Amino acid sequence: MKSKKYLIPILFVVIGLFLVACAASSKEPAAAAIKAAEESWNAVKGEVVKYIPDQAKGVEDAIKGAKENFDKGNFDAALAAAKAIPDKVKELTAVAAAKKAELAKSWEEMSGGLPKMLDAIKSRLDILSASKKLPGNLDKAKLEGAKGGYEAATKMWDEAKAAFAGGNLADAMAKGKTVKEKAVEVMTTLGMQVPAAAAPAPAPAPAPKG
Amino acid sequence: MADEEKQQGTGSDAWDATQWHVVEKGETLSKISKKYYGDPNLYMKIFEANKDVLKNPDLIKIGQKLRIP
Repeated sequence: MKSKKYLIPILFVVIGLFLVACAASSKEPAAAAIKAAEESWNAVKGEVVKYIPDQAKGVEDAIKGAKENFDKGNFDAALAAAKAIPDKVKELTAVAAAKKAELAKSWEEMSGGLPKMLDAIKSRLDILSASKKLPGNLDKAKLEGAKGGYEAATKMWDEAKAAFAGGNLADAMAKGKTVKEKAVEVMTTLGMQVPAAAAPAPAPAPAPKG
Repeated sequence: MADEEKQQGTGSDAWDATQWHVVEKGETLSKISKKYYGDPNLYMKIFEANKDVLKNPDLIKIGQKLRIP
């Protein structure tokens, strides 16, 4: 019984060494997995961040978490986390590509339509500016406000086109949306018909009672 | 205004921003000009925009669809 007592510390040492050896055996695979994860992410990061920034942050956090585990010596956890990242990157790349295609389609429609609205507004403003009187729905202040709105819209439209030319589709779309809203506002002030594609969505009907 | 609403969104191009007016009984280009521009003397702007369908600014027909620039 006495001799067995001496065996216990030895057993602990053996187990400890075994665990250290196991951990050390995960170190290299974990380092390689983190490197692979970073490489897969860096290859597509620019596009993914541009189109789905919120989801892109998830990948950034996952890489950071894997690295933190690695630094703490939690190589198994680091390995598990890092191994999952390339699949997530692949998934987000597809989502970003779909989002890009959707935005490109919307931009194509918008860039064909908005200039028509702006041209129609300019034509009406030119005539109203030459008019000795104004129609009943308009006074001088409203007309001046409409002119200011038109100028702001054309300026922003130029910025939207520049953003598109610079490859920033999301920014171009956001600016284009603002131009559309401004153009609708001006057309409404001038008593003009708003094209169906630019008309604000009708408010949802109230739920029936009872 | 009812004419304007009727015309909204018609046609194949949902972005078409052409402004339309459907001629009603008793209307002249001057009256239409006054309605949209406040000034009847600007009727020639409407005539010029509709030269493909109007030959004479004094001759417009009920139901005729005119562009209002």
